[in-house]
Order: sequence, then C-alpha cells, then structure tokens
Amino acid sequence: MLLILRRVFAACALATLAACASGPKYNEVKSAIPTIPAEQGRIIVYRSGSMVGAAIQPDVMMGGVKIGQSVPGGFFFVDRPAGSYEISTSTEVEKKLTLVLEKGETKYVKTSIGMGFMVGRVQPELIDPKQGQMEVEELSYTGTPLQGTK
Amino acid sequence: MKKSAAWGLVCSFAAIASLVSGCAAEVARQQTQWQPLSTAPAIIEFRETVTLEPSSGYSRTLNAGSQWREAGRIPQGQVFRPVNGVLTVEGRHVHEAYIVLDGGRVVGFYLPVEQSFAALPPKPVQYQNKGN
Repeated sequence: MLLILRRVFAACALATLAACASGPKYNEVKSAIPTIPAEQGRIIVYRSGSMVGAAIQPDVMMGGVKIGQSVPGGFFFVDRPAGSYEISTSTEVEKKLTLVLEKGETKYVKTSIGMGFMVGRVQPELIDPKQGQMEVEELSYTGTPLQGTK
Repeated sequence: MKKSAAWGLVCSFAAIASLVSGCAAEVARQQTQWQPLSTAPAIIEFRETVTLEPSSGYSRTLNAGSQWREAGRIPQGQVFRPVNGVLTVEGRHVHEAYIVLDGGRVVGFYLPVEQSFAALPPKPVQYQNKGN
C-alpha cells in the first residue's frame, strides 16, 4: 500500500514539475532580448511559478490571434506598433484586458489562475512596470527562440 | 424534500455557479468626446489616499504621493494618467483606465481603448501641482 502511495505521489510530483516553464532563465536571455523597434512598444506576458492550477495552460490571444501560452513560471514578449490592444486567454470564461501601448513603452501583463465553475481560469491583468520587471526576472523565457540563445 | 426547499437549493447553486464562473457585471460606461492637450501636460500629486468604488464592485485605491500626468479633457472633466504606474477598472473584463477630475473631485474613469467614461460617486481629493 505504502509503495502504491509513493508511486502516486511521485507521478503527481512529476506531472506538476512537467507543467512548469522549462526555458532559459531571464538572466540567461537578458542580453539577447532586442531593443524595442522604433515606432513600437513591448508587451511582456508572464505567469508566476505557483503550482496552483499549473496544469491549466491556455493560449494567450491578442485581438483573437495566439501570441503565446500561459505557462507557470514563464514569460514571453511581443513588440507591436503603438495603439490599442485586447488580450485574453482561452479558458472556461474569457476575461479580456484592454490596454493602450505607446511608442517605446513596455507594458507588463500577468496571467494568474482564478476560480472557475468547472475548472480554474486564467485571467490577464495589467501590472505596474516596476513590479512586473521584478517578477519577470525570476522566470523562464518561453517565447520564440532569441538570437544568441539555444 | 419540500418543493420550496428544492427550489431554494437550485437557486443557491445557480447563484454560486454564476459567481464563480466569472459573471461579474460589465463596467458601466458611456461614449465620450476626447480632446487631446494643446499645452504642456500638468503633473499633480495626491496628498491623500483615495479609495474609489465603482459599481462593478472592484474598488481601486489611489495612494497618497502618487503622481498623475494630464492627458487630455472630456466633457466630464480633466483626464490624468498615472506616472510610472498603471490603473485599471474591472468588471466582466479589465480595462486600462485614467482618472477624471472635476472641481477637486474624482468623478470617474476614462477608458482610453473604449474611448468612454465610467462615472463614479464623486470623491473629493487633495492634490498639489508639481509643474509641467
């Protein structure tokens, strides 16, 4: 009985670990992150490394187009022309975030797990730049490969 | 089980289900007329902390010492955006927002993406000008 319990526990732990972001840490990609192109701004999307709801990893959409995935402990970024944008995640209930992006500006969008009816849902929120940068520095990069990184 | 008790259970279940399934009210707002600034933007600093309570139920606290840069004007008042920070209003969805001041009172939010005004019960606030 004890052996079965151990195996179940190990399987759960493995599944939980597998659900976390596995990309390079922020410090490893920091130097490869390009500067923001002229006339554009940057939106950094991230999720803390919390294990709560770790198996729920919805796509992150911008204007209905997939730009990445909400993975615990991960971050990615997109550069876009200055303008208005709508960000959402594809979970049970779609909660949208609308924001204005200015030229040369960096906006931080944190996705976090909330309680849903049948399953948890992941919702985006806009975060103060200072706090956002601090939190991103603890995470792993999950975006498209950057030049100069593996 | 009596019929009324059963209905009570069903209604309670439905209420809880709607709460946890994210059926928050949409932020009540109206379209408004945006006028950009034609002069250098003023910067103000709040002397006191103000808590705003929109009808959507998600309160927002604007801290003493927070700075706000004039961004434009709408018929409901002057529009200020946070300096080195962000502000959102939340209901069914989350919207980036600026504050609207009129006569020394916060009277609502301006939602720049939706180009609309979300009214609040007016709340007096003490602030000082920090120049342009």
